Amino acid sequence: MPASTDAQPAPTYRLKKAVPVPYTRNLPEIVRRNVGHWVDRKFHGSGIVEHISDTGDHLFTVKAGGTPNVRFSTETLRKFAQIADDHGVGALRFTRAGNIEILSESLEQALEAKRAIEAIGFFVGGWGATLWSVGSCTSYLTCTTAVVDAPSLTQAIYDQMVPYFTGEVPLPAKLRVNVTGCPTACGGLVADIVLVGHYGAAPSFDPERIRLCLPSSAKVLDKVVPEVQMVCPVNAIESFARPDGSVGIKIIEKKCIGCGRCKDVCDHITWDADKVGVSVLIGGKSSNTGVGPTLAQVLVPWVPACPPRYRESVAVVRKIVDVWRAGAKPGERVADYVNRVGMKTVFEQLKVPVARWNRPNPLRTGFGVRQFVSR
Amino acid sequence: MGESGREKPSDDPSLRKGLEMLSELEKGPWPSHVSELKKGKYPIEAYAKGLGQGLPPWFSGSARIRCEFTGFIARRTKDGKQTELHFRVYHPSGQFYRTEDLRKLLDFSDRFGLGSVETVGQTGDLIVPIQPDLADQAVDELRALGTDIGGTGDSIRDMAACVGPALCEYALFDSLAARDYYLRYPDFYDKLSTQLFPFKIKLKFSACPMDCARAAHRADFAFLGYWEGAPEVDQAALRAKFEAGSASWKGLAAGCPAKAIRWDPAKQELVIDGAKCQKSMNCIRAAFPAIKAGPNRKVALMVGGHSKGRWGPKMAKPVALLDDYRSAGEFMTRMIDYWSERSPHKDRLGDLVLTEGLPKMVDRFKESLPNPASGKAAGGARIVTSSVLGEEDRKAFAAWADAIAREYEEKA
Repeated sequence: MPASTDAQPAPTYRLKKAVPVPYTRNLPEIVRRNVGHWVDRKFHGSGIVEHISDTGDHLFTVKAGGTPNVRFSTETLRKFAQIADDHGVGALRFTRAGNIEILSESLEQALEAKRAIEAIGFFVGGWGATLWSVGSCTSYLTCTTAVVDAPSLTQAIYDQMVPYFTGEVPLPAKLRVNVTGCPTACGGLVADIVLVGHYGAAPSFDPERIRLCLPSSAKVLDKVVPEVQMVCPVNAIESFARPDGSVGIKIIEKKCIGCGRCKDVCDHITWDADKVGVSVLIGGKSSNTGVGPTLAQVLVPWVPACPPRYRESVAVVRKIVDVWRAGAKPGERVADYVNRVGMKTVFEQLKVPVARWNRPNPLRTGFGVRQFVSR
Repeated sequence: MGESGREKPSDDPSLRKGLEMLSELEKGPWPSHVSELKKGKYPIEAYAKGLGQGLPPWFSGSARIRCEFTGFIARRTKDGKQTELHFRVYHPSGQFYRTEDLRKLLDFSDRFGLGSVETVGQTGDLIVPIQPDLADQAVDELRALGTDIGGTGDSIRDMAACVGPALCEYALFDSLAARDYYLRYPDFYDKLSTQLFPFKIKLKFSACPMDCARAAHRADFAFLGYWEGAPEVDQAALRAKFEAGSASWKGLAAGCPAKAIRWDPAKQELVIDGAKCQKSMNCIRAAFPAIKAGPNRKVALMVGGHSKGRWGPKMAKPVALLDDYRSAGEFMTRMIDYWSERSPHKDRLGDLVLTEGLPKMVDRFKESLPNPASGKAAGGARIVTSSVLGEEDRKAFAAWADAIAREYEEKA
């Protein structure tokens, strides 16, 4: 048992966060003296970039792919720190896509770092026309709303796509895959291929335990809408007074879109594990190149998600990559390819059955900063 | 960590099934998160049991950390036998670590945590699982290392920036300094530790239109580097690139999505139409530094993007082109206040922008911006990521996916 803390004064200083600013404090010396001075870059293979500064400095970043959901043991990160000391400037960087960049001062040093990274079982790559990363939410590792476990699905995808990451097998352009465990899509719809775990049907609930998420008495129902009902964007949840005076809800399956917002606010919404699957979306991207930033759009509304190897989900991802590789011009991201040939053609190439949930509509474009141009 | 509640694998069929799945996941070529978790003290049986059952093992839990209302998340297993508590720790902007600083953080994780971290969460923080009975003390230890926990629930979340001028030659403003500035912006700084709002608030900063911070997709307030007019061309340097064969005017013209580039054969010069230019960066990336962003640099401010909200994912909408990223503070504060007064719980700012309309929202606050509002929002993409399918539909899609899986199995 922890010692009682009540006798001590409350640590109110914690209400002011100790945010780590300014960022320059944390920079390695070579980066600090070159902030804003970089003028060019050169690629050495698909995992090493040479940054060239107008001060005459050259810095080489070596990119190592992260584990699914970027879970690292401190033991492994200490090995990376050692590599950064032995073959670099004694610093590294965690990228927002979940990779690790070792900073080196020469190409020889960078190549040594690459070999050292490979010696501890990691891969170097992920720049240029390669697979940059497979992003994953945390799912069953900590999340309460996850339907499908994204990290294990990410593992299954990565295991099949190593040559795309290392650059051994060329791709037409950058490829990002995102895997997200529930329709909330914390992983975001920003990737070329996005897998989203969902119920496959309307969610259900245990009629007794759901009371924990509802007002205790039905008397308040004419004044208050229970939150689990209020958050529903399509009014698919209704509340009513039960004979014993408590509150009950029902989910109207015909209206439900399976978005999971009710699950967000109530732990006791559940689902039928046999109906669970992933939807597959394509054409998301963040950069303003080509068609500009886009949200990925549904290609297939449901594919079985069967751990641990996720046979069907992984095969569908591989198929989409193969169709894109065969058809795309150099430099064409998935969104650019879909935009050029038309979503309908992509549906035909993949022979996807069409249902109410996956119409082959064109990708919506024109977002991001280009909204300032088209005025 | 609920040691006493650990069951032997043989006691529980779903745990046994899950543990088998986890060892299968360690067999592939890509480094496995399972192997990494097993090296630390993460409650791997809970994860295994979840996988075996096909349901997440966690319910919301609780933790007692004095005077901390954001920055940590507590879980307990559905049977109450195991717990999981993790800190969301602010990275320094750019996520650079000198190895001596990194080792101090790793020591911290070993002493107070489970010997395992998630290097970047979806918001951009460092996720450190913590031993619940040491959590209160751990906060102070972390503060001594020069960082803190923050950004959970209905609060101002951690802010995200691309690597910006620290490593990238395309940076048009200092996205890292901008994140630092708004983390310390008084109106926001005072509220980092309170859950006051209808839902979360995110700010993201990308120093050029490539948007590596994914600001336009995922930020309530997105700041992107921008320039007005055409890119700046150093014609002599560009001709040198053409002669060296590293670029060609035909390639640049064909690659421009806006069709804004043509070659003037008389002058032997590349001409870019600034009115058409969509800032897609194609020519700049192909011929940098002979072609670079124009001199009239701005910071584009956009609002209302997010992944999680009432009506699904939305893209940010244009508000203003700022001369300085510092000048949006009052606008954001007023907009957040307005949203807080009106929106029900779990509605994002973008949901309100959608229902009220962008022009109406911006007009209300535009006098707080130094530049007049500009830009026209693109039509909203309405994406539903999930579906509610009947038995027949599920069968049809399963058969389709099965055929593809068999195709690959036969190839192998």
